[in-house]
Amino acid sequence: MAGGIKVQEALCVGCANCIKSCPTEAMRVIEGCVHIIPELCIDCGECMRNCPHNAITIDEDDWELIHSQENALLIADPTFYVQMGAYRSQSMIKEALSSWNVEDLIESASLAYDVVAFTIAKMLEKESSVNHPLISTYCPAVIRLIQIKYPELAGRLVPVDSPLEVGVSLRRELTGNNEDVTLLSPCPAKITLVRNPVGRKKSNMKFTVSVQRLVRALLAGGPKISDSVESIANNRWLKWSIAGGESSHIKYFSERPLRTISVAGLRNTMDLLKEMELGRLRGIDYIECRACDLGCIGGVGNAESRFLSKLRIEHTDFCWDISDQELADIRKWSDSKIWKLEENIGPSQKNPLSDDLNKAMERLKELNRIYSELPNINCGACGRPSCRAMAEDVVRGRGEVTDCVFKLRETITDLGRKIVDLSERMPHTLREPRRKR
Amino acid sequence: MVSDVYVEEYHIDGGDFINVGTASTKLKRSLEMMGIPSSLTRRASIVAYEAEMNLVIHAGGGTICCLISPEKIQIIAEDNGPGIPDIELAMQEGYSTASDAIRELGFGAGMGLSNIKRNTDTLDIISEVGKGTRVQAVILVKSMAGGREIGRGN
Repeated sequence: MAGGIKVQEALCVGCANCIKSCPTEAMRVIEGCVHIIPELCIDCGECMRNCPHNAITIDEDDWELIHSQENALLIADPTFYVQMGAYRSQSMIKEALSSWNVEDLIESASLAYDVVAFTIAKMLEKESSVNHPLISTYCPAVIRLIQIKYPELAGRLVPVDSPLEVGVSLRRELTGNNEDVTLLSPCPAKITLVRNPVGRKKSNMKFTVSVQRLVRALLAGGPKISDSVESIANNRWLKWSIAGGESSHIKYFSERPLRTISVAGLRNTMDLLKEMELGRLRGIDYIECRACDLGCIGGVGNAESRFLSKLRIEHTDFCWDISDQELADIRKWSDSKIWKLEENIGPSQKNPLSDDLNKAMERLKELNRIYSELPNINCGACGRPSCRAMAEDVVRGRGEVTDCVFKLRETITDLGRKIVDLSERMPHTLREPRRKR
Repeated sequence: MVSDVYVEEYHIDGGDFINVGTASTKLKRSLEMMGIPSSLTRRASIVAYEAEMNLVIHAGGGTICCLISPEKIQIIAEDNGPGIPDIELAMQEGYSTASDAIRELGFGAGMGLSNIKRNTDTLDIISEVGKGTRVQAVILVKSMAGGREIGRGN
């Protein structure tokens, strides 16, 4: 369900760049402007990357408004902490934000990532590997991609909530307060996590702002910070911002060696899911897919180059010294099931050509007939991503065959011929009698 | 009634490891459009994929014909390849006659026919050495639709 992306109609020229980049074919150009089919949109942000006119943007809440409230509470995606050279540590950022009267929930967030990694490790450890691999539910775009394009794999999604949600739950459990929390999101997909969550009825978070919005605010006139900031030791959760970070965190807690595969980028994700669908991933315990290149640092809502972010992560010393006290705490929260999803994640219902199988078959035949007559060059001029999508739209009553410029030209040529034919005809009364000739 | 059976046919070239999988992808899409439950769609696409693989690896190509009706999905793979001398042996998991070159590509693990068997309701294989092979796999639609919740397969 689209939630984090909006089209600036004034800027859209109705070209075919975005519709062809969409992995679920969720976009159509109608009357000169692109429209998103909400049931098919996974909020991956691919259209934003491919729009030459910046007509597609992140649909975020107003930071100024949130900021103007007393003691705004913020939970940030780990990518936020690897965006800036000037604010290079978590503690520096926390202090800078607190001088703006904004509280950054780093402690709850980092604990939540530990709890989630620990929980998944225990699940993978004990569950018989017949049902493996399980699939990470960290990337909301991947969850939706699976629901829509790989529905048979929905049962393999690990039933654990996003650590960002868990972080807010932890905070509420620990303080007993029920304050509004704003999520700092690196991508449209995590904005949708707040607005249209999967696996729970309502998100713990109320507002959501892009990472880039806050990074710009900090860099534009961020508060100065003292050198003597007390450092925050637990930084291993920041590793989740690159592909493989989640798996390494899970492996740390697992008693037995786990076989995991981590991929980033839509193309890799779709290839891996397809292999899994064909039953080729036997013997693998866990797969971690991220829709964005290199992982969450590649999200369209970030400010920093993903390459530089990655470099920064590679040069970070991650703390893997977990004290017994810390471990006991993690275990306690894991046992409390604070990570549990309210509802199972099922496949999204496909929309067949008809509810009646016989009718659907007829329509599919019709679709194939129309498709076979189309030029099959996928030019996009009809406003659809492919000739196939066009044929489907026509069968579903959402268009005419003459939306295709080639079919239109054919029709005009036929008509022209007919006109020429008619123009050469003569009323029979004016024809010379045959006998005289 | 004419509309009772929907037919799709694919020609598979031998040794074409690049395009292998296209038939099963197309079949899957068609089944989805018809509203066939996803658990069945998954089984059908696995069967089609393995059949394609066999045509590519062993048979030097052939055809896959899919007949879909409200009762059943039939997938028939036919080739004029070398044939299977011992079908029972070929059905065993891990048994394969694939060459080392093919194994190096990551294929030919000897799971193909057993994987087809696992995902079909009835399977008939007719093969004559030197002449060719005909694999006919049937997945029942009716029996599944009532018994299991639609779209909840794993």
